[in-house]
Amino acid sequence: MATSTYLSNLSTLTVNAVSLLDQATNVVFTNTKEQLEATAFGDTSRKYTAGLFNNECTMTLYQSYISSETYQTLAALVGSTTNVVAGVTDGATTKTFTLTGCYLEALPVVNASLGELSTVDITFTGGVYSVA
Amino acid sequence: MKYVIQSEKIGKIGDEFVPDYGINIEALLEGGFISTATETKSSKVKSEPKE
Repeated sequence: MATSTYLSNLSTLTVNAVSLLDQATNVVFTNTKEQLEATAFGDTSRKYTAGLFNNECTMTLYQSYISSETYQTLAALVGSTTNVVAGVTDGATTKTFTLTGCYLEALPVVNASLGELSTVDITFTGGVYSVA
Repeated sequence: MKYVIQSEKIGKIGDEFVPDYGINIEALLEGGFISTATETKSSKVKSEPKE
């Protein structure tokens, strides 16, 4: 049966070598290779070919301004590149997904709603994808 | 340049931090996660050789 229920099997989550596993509630790691149209006259169906990789990692983190937590980890990364690593353990199998040199464009510094724990959604784009 | 871990979020405090390729060192220094290791020089003063 092909199911992956995420309870505690996200075993690693680091941004710029800093563990943010205890602040994360959602991670989406996407390996994308851009689709380029290659259809030409005479073709009766559209054809596509692979372009550049354009990888992405999005995550939702609890906002925390205290030492060594979310804000302190991310504030200095805005407008620069870093590494993101997500490790998943599924039974006896562990996969470690890495984006090397991905770019953080924006960081919501305040996201306040009455009566709710504050969270921030961030997106790392680009970088070289690898899996081990 | 050597770096020393200052936060448990990246390893054992006091250990040397060896950055992987792609790690943003400036951000880690700015956030206080690591510090630069200051090399300590020997305080011993060489005495003049005895004749």
